[in-house]
Amino acid sequence: MSSEKFSATLRIGDLNDYIAPSQGCVVSLKANSNPNPNTPPTSSSRLDKFYAENPATLGKAVKPVETEPVKISLKDCLACSGCITSAETVMLEKQSLDEFLSSINKGKAVIVSVSPQSRASLAVHFGLSPLQVFKKLTTLFKTLGVKAVFDTSCSRDLTLIESCYEFITRYRQCHLTTDEKSKLALPMISSACPGWICYAEKTLGSYILPYISSVKSPQQTIGAIIKNHICQMLCIRPEDIYHVTVMPCYDKKLEAVRDDFVFQVEAQGEKITEVDSVLTTGELLDLVKSRSVDFASLEESPLDKLLANAAEGGHLYGVHGSSGGYAEIIFRYAAKTLFGKEIVGPLNFKTIRNSDFKEVTLEVDGETVLKFALCYGFRNLQNVVRKIKAGKCEYQFLEIMACPSGCLNGGGQIKPKAGESAKDLIQSLELKYMENVTEADPLENPIIKGLYAEWLDEPGSEKAKKHMHTEYHPIVKSITSQLQNW
Amino acid sequence: MSLVDESFELKELQVLEGHADRVWSVAWKPATGFDGVPAVLASCSGDKTVRVWEQSPSSGSFQCKAVLEETHTRTVRSCAWSPSGKLLATASFDATTAVWEHVGDDYECVSTLEGHENEVKSISWNASGSLLATCGRDKSVWIWEVLPGNEFECVSVLQGHTQDVKMVQWHPNMDILFSCSYDNTIKVWAEDGDDDWHCVQTLAEANNGHTSTVWALSFNATGDKMATCSDDLTLKIWGSDLLTIQSGNGSAPWKHICTLSGYHDRTIFSVHWSREGIIASGAADDAIRLFAEDGDGLVDEPKYHLLLKKDKAHDMDVNSVQWSSAGNRLLASASDDGTIKIWELISLAGDQKPPL
Repeated sequence: MSSEKFSATLRIGDLNDYIAPSQGCVVSLKANSNPNPNTPPTSSSRLDKFYAENPATLGKAVKPVETEPVKISLKDCLACSGCITSAETVMLEKQSLDEFLSSINKGKAVIVSVSPQSRASLAVHFGLSPLQVFKKLTTLFKTLGVKAVFDTSCSRDLTLIESCYEFITRYRQCHLTTDEKSKLALPMISSACPGWICYAEKTLGSYILPYISSVKSPQQTIGAIIKNHICQMLCIRPEDIYHVTVMPCYDKKLEAVRDDFVFQVEAQGEKITEVDSVLTTGELLDLVKSRSVDFASLEESPLDKLLANAAEGGHLYGVHGSSGGYAEIIFRYAAKTLFGKEIVGPLNFKTIRNSDFKEVTLEVDGETVLKFALCYGFRNLQNVVRKIKAGKCEYQFLEIMACPSGCLNGGGQIKPKAGESAKDLIQSLELKYMENVTEADPLENPIIKGLYAEWLDEPGSEKAKKHMHTEYHPIVKSITSQLQNW
Repeated sequence: MSLVDESFELKELQVLEGHADRVWSVAWKPATGFDGVPAVLASCSGDKTVRVWEQSPSSGSFQCKAVLEETHTRTVRSCAWSPSGKLLATASFDATTAVWEHVGDDYECVSTLEGHENEVKSISWNASGSLLATCGRDKSVWIWEVLPGNEFECVSVLQGHTQDVKMVQWHPNMDILFSCSYDNTIKVWAEDGDDDWHCVQTLAEANNGHTSTVWALSFNATGDKMATCSDDLTLKIWGSDLLTIQSGNGSAPWKHICTLSGYHDRTIFSVHWSREGIIASGAADDAIRLFAEDGDGLVDEPKYHLLLKKDKAHDMDVNSVQWSSAGNRLLASASDDGTIKIWELISLAGDQKPPL
């Protein structure tokens, strides 16, 4: 497992180049690399300088390095305030293809939820349409023994509706009340990117967390739907379901193992995880290759319409915006709900400083009343965070994604082919993403309407808060990491 | 007659005392030290402060005019004046970079740049003062754009080095950034015209590069040569075709010209190239050495000769050597012994070696 696979935003947290096993992390690093960060330089003057520049390592760096890697889980990493992905030895046992395949063999009811970004990546790779890919994936998974194949663009519509309601609530809180707490209501920041959440919790801390939307990501939303509700319709106990998602992003593995996404039906009952395992698009391609499957010639099975944005005519539907469309959908909803403006046609996103920073505004009577931004990649993220910290953020909503170009460019996507530039691939993916996918209002999604009617009552209800919202926790620096940074 | 034919003496003019811990770095303020403008020097230290020293026009001696404190909470590792001299940027182990403005008699911290995960090691302004680069222990190199009103915006976060980045330095007249690291390499970074910065070249051991930590780098006056210094006890000279770079027709690669080995027996922490072409080095053996190119033109390959070695320049490691750009042949050095020294390079006229 190479740390390169996680988003750059997570890798920036990859700080402990002199980490020793004694210091917070129990993982020993790859030994004998040159220069070996665990071994201080031998010449005495260099040793002095080494400690002068890295005083906290004194007395630690000279400890012998264990050669056997200690296994730690992603959960251990999440709880730690130090590095999270620097260690090559981080074990992803619960997140691998092997675990997925063995769960099928153990007789669990395996359900796979596929992200639209993964679909697009495979579609470009195989020269197919997203719908063809989805149908062929259904064939592939069902052949392996998977019970159902779902679509996270369906659960994303629920995420989007909850986000729209949360925004209106925050907006009113900010504009109607003047207490200290209401100042923390806006800007609202999207919460779907686990790389961003991890960075916010570990590095930025408590000042930024109140701004982050409490709505779960589409991955966790579909997990909550399956294990709380759909399981009953399928007459399967939630503990007997093994739920796998296919995601464009390695960081989604970190999201899936958060304690916040584990629940118990009864006080003494078994702990149930919303998402048991995450496979990246690339890992799914590995599966296809390892089984010598000719993917393009696979049959096209009917889709599991229980949780998939597939209309009667067979075509797919979803929202515009390849990173989830949060800014766009909430903007349209807020314009209509708060100002009675129905926006027809595409939104006019203006590029501000680079293609990864765009803003959209609504003017009423010559006055700007709404200002939202898309903010992708670490450098742009830094600038909005600086503005928020200084109290100078002019946006009411920020769609933040850790990766440049957003989720289609996630670290788990299929890499460019030989001779293909990363920029060309992104352009192909952007076009492919909405190929034969009809744009549809999440509020009109019949599946989501059904979920509210049968289960969640209404957007923002107590039930919706219980199942569809989450919390964020600043990671308190451990004593060892404080020593490191004295 | 070239510099190597002359005899020189490095005369100690003054010892600047005041820092309570090792002094890491010194920086001469641009456009000072000539035309009646008194020379100004900034220094930074393990004592968490920055001191600004000014030369008295009457006595010629340097006095501490300001102590910049209570902003950084840990060691201040490096400092750099903006090209106009209006701003002073300081990089600290407290993970921040501070930008100071000279207001009246005082220096005011006008901006703090956060983002580095931990120790910031070095800082550099580009030639026009529109960009600021920082680097640090988190292995990253950051580029910031300077906006009106002392606002700074992050333009790029560059991850390419595999270890602690020791120093960043902009090319003297083009927007090309250089960084050197504990990973033994020097990396060259350039913009692709689309606001995206990329590593365009890595000078590693395989390119006749260094075999241990590269601590510092410096350019000659025209910017077609670069000197680097390392824990591998060598100085290396690199060259590039300046006309190709300036024409903008792709990147002109930097090539190894020569290696100055056998002169140092301890780590070389600092290298600085004077405008007239003298390379100074500061090393862990407490000595300062001066080198110059052999200008006889008899051989194609440039040769560099040791002009002089100042033994016991300091009582401890020499962390930084910096020539004044004022053409007054003043050199400042900073040391683990807690002092800064001002040196004057004096040509010993009448004691010249006979031309070969």
